[in-house]
Order: sequence, then structure tokens, then C-alpha cells
Amino acid sequence: MPKQFEYPEIFSFAPFFTIQPVLATREKQMGLWRELILSYHTSLKIKTLRVHDCPLWKNKEIGRELNSEAINTIMEDFVESGHGEWEDQTKTRCRILWRKPEQLASDIYDWADTNGFINSVCTVYELHSGEDINGMSFEGADEELLRRALLILEKQGKCTMFKGETSEEDGIKFF
Amino acid sequence: MAHRRGRAGIGALKKKGETSKFTKKAEEIKETSLQSALDTVKQLEIKLTKFAQTHHKAIAKDPAFRHKFLSMCAPLGVDPLTSKKSFWSFLQMGDFYHELAVKVAEVCYAYRSRNGGIMSIKEVQNILVRRGTKFRLNEVVTNYSEEDIVLAIEKLKQLGSGFRIVKVGGTRMVVSVPTELDNDHVQVIQLAQDVGGGITVDMVSDMIGWEDDRVKRALDLLLSEGMAWIDKYEGLEFYWFPSVWKDSFAL
Repeated sequence: MPKQFEYPEIFSFAPFFTIQPVLATREKQMGLWRELILSYHTSLKIKTLRVHDCPLWKNKEIGRELNSEAINTIMEDFVESGHGEWEDQTKTRCRILWRKPEQLASDIYDWADTNGFINSVCTVYELHSGEDINGMSFEGADEELLRRALLILEKQGKCTMFKGETSEEDGIKFF
Repeated sequence: MAHRRGRAGIGALKKKGETSKFTKKAEEIKETSLQSALDTVKQLEIKLTKFAQTHHKAIAKDPAFRHKFLSMCAPLGVDPLTSKKSFWSFLQMGDFYHELAVKVAEVCYAYRSRNGGIMSIKEVQNILVRRGTKFRLNEVVTNYSEEDIVLAIEKLKQLGSGFRIVKVGGTRMVVSVPTELDNDHVQVIQLAQDVGGGITVDMVSDMIGWEDDRVKRALDLLLSEGMAWIDKYEGLEFYWFPSVWKDSFAL
């Protein structure tokens, strides 16, 4: 049963669909759009935003919708914030990064440190579905996103990856 | 201010040199009545203190009771909010309103970017109630009335914090920014409240009767302060006020 999404109050506010001319107000508005896009896709577990038919761009109940210029502004701002990345050159599909890879990377390392995994090994599987990770930001995380985070840690010299028999058994050693 | 009492007044007596007898008596009467007045007040104060001691729990919990109590104190010149006298401090009302003042300020700052620094007292109250029930599971939830919040804002005002109350029609709004809101601004916000949604320049000039320039001046200030947001729809420009919109939404 798909989870119902609870739209924030601002979604019923007509001016939300007009890009605000006053800078301070526009910044507030952009923040609210970023939050809306992120929470909508995260709670419904939708990985990709398709620009041409995203249901967030219009609210029939109040008879307002974003024009294409406004949609572009909002999407550019969203990608700029690091929570989204274009999957294609023509910018029609945007991958939603519910948690930025850099944030995940530091969350993972902190967890490893706190739980005594430094200089020891754990598998990729354990990282997203293991017993010790309840409530962690990377619990149930998309494997691809996880690997990107681990790559960042590798670059920082904080871990090293090695292959296991299956991809789930791929291991990580933390330093 | 000249008094024209003719020849029987003090002035006349002074002239006649017979003032001493009369003034002494007048002083005596003044003194006696003053003394008795002071005695009465003292009696009332004692009664009030006893009352406060007996009912301090109710005063803390029930807004209506609290306000009845405060209204009894006022004519006696007793101010439990600011008084440092020990027999009032047990009530901790100063602390109560101090704490509330901090909470009100927090709410106003948190919502400032959304509404430009103006919001209805009712909305502040709703937010405090929501926050109260969210975090206090076992403790007694304090019910803040609108009057409580008004008193807390008075406290904030006294601290010179820029907080003040502005009346828009029948609604009391708390303004937490130094922006000067003149009568034109208030009238425009009130129109938005009456209309119950966005307003255009034409609507304002039709309904209030100002020239376009005057309307635009007022709306532009409110827009630039973040108190109004703009909505472009079918070639028209509507001005919406989050502070007013939220209020109607809350209904």
C-alpha cells in the first residue's frame, strides 16, 4: 500500500508558485521547494524526478502551477544544493540524493568509529541492513549511494574496499 | 488654571489672614482620609496575598483565573509580574511571563522569514500549544491564553526589543521587526484579511479609494519587507499576506 504524502501548508499558498522577486523571500521560497521535493521523493521512495510530469509543479485545488521558467529555476537550485543530479544531458531526469554522499560518508565513518570498526572489517550488506545500524541515516540506503559514500571515504584514506564472493559480501576496512 | 470661587475660597481666606485655622483642619482631614485609605489598601493587599497563597495552583494552570487575579491586583497598584517582594515571588508569575516572553520571541524569529515579522497572536498561541503537546508528555501542559501572550509581548516591548502589537481590524498582530507600519499599511493588511485572500492594486483602490501610487507604495513596502508575497496569475498580480492567510487557514 503506497504511503500517502502529506503536503506541507505552503503548497496551498498561491504565491508559492510564483518565483518571488524579493531576494530574502525568494531564498525562503527556494528552501521550501527543496524541502518539498526531497521529502516527497524520499517518503514515497521515488528515486528519480521526471521534470515533465512531476506532480509537485501544480496544485489543482488552488488553481496554481509553476511555469517552465519557474520549474527551471527551482530545479537548478535543487541540483546546486547537492540533493539532486542530472541523469541526462537534456536535463529531463534528476536523481534524488536524499542524503548527500558526503553526509553519508561522514555518518558512516562516525558510526564505524563509535562502534569499534576502526581497523576492522564489515560488509556492504551489514552497512545497510545489519543489526547495529538501527536508526542510522544509512539504514536501508540505496547500495549505489552507499558505494559512492564509501568511495569518498576511500579517497579520504578512511577506508578501503575489497571484493567478496557476492557484491553483498564486499568488504570495507575502516582506518 | 484659575479658580473663580469668589470670596469664600482659600485665596480669600489667605487674604483675610485666617488661613492657619482652616488649613490645619484641612490637613487633618486629608491626613485622616489618607490614612484610612492606606489602611483599606493594606487590608486588601493582605486579603489578596491570602487569596494568592490559597489559589496559586489555579492561577498557574487556568488562564481565565489568572487574569481575574491580575485584574484584582491592578487597581491596588500591585504588579505580581515585576514585583520583587517575597510574598509575590512565591507565585513565580514574573518567571512565568519571562519564560513565555522567551517562547514568544522564539516563535516570532522562527517564522520571520516566512511572514516578514508579522503574525497574529492567535497563530503564536496555536504554535505554542502544538509545541507544548509535542514535547511534554508527562508534565502539565501550560495553557497560554491570548492575554498571556499580550502580557509577554509587553514585557518584550519594555526590554526595547522592537516587539509591539498592531491591530489589524479586530485581530491583534505581533510585529517583531523595526519596520515602520503606518496606517496605510495596516489598512491594506486589513483589506487582505477581509477579502480572505490575495489583493490587487485595483482592488485596493476600488475598495479603499486611494490613488494607484499610494496603493503601490504601501504594497511595495510590505512586499520588500517580506510581509507580502506576490502571486502572478493570468496577467494579474495578487499580493498575499502569510500572517493573514495563516490566520484564516487556522480556522
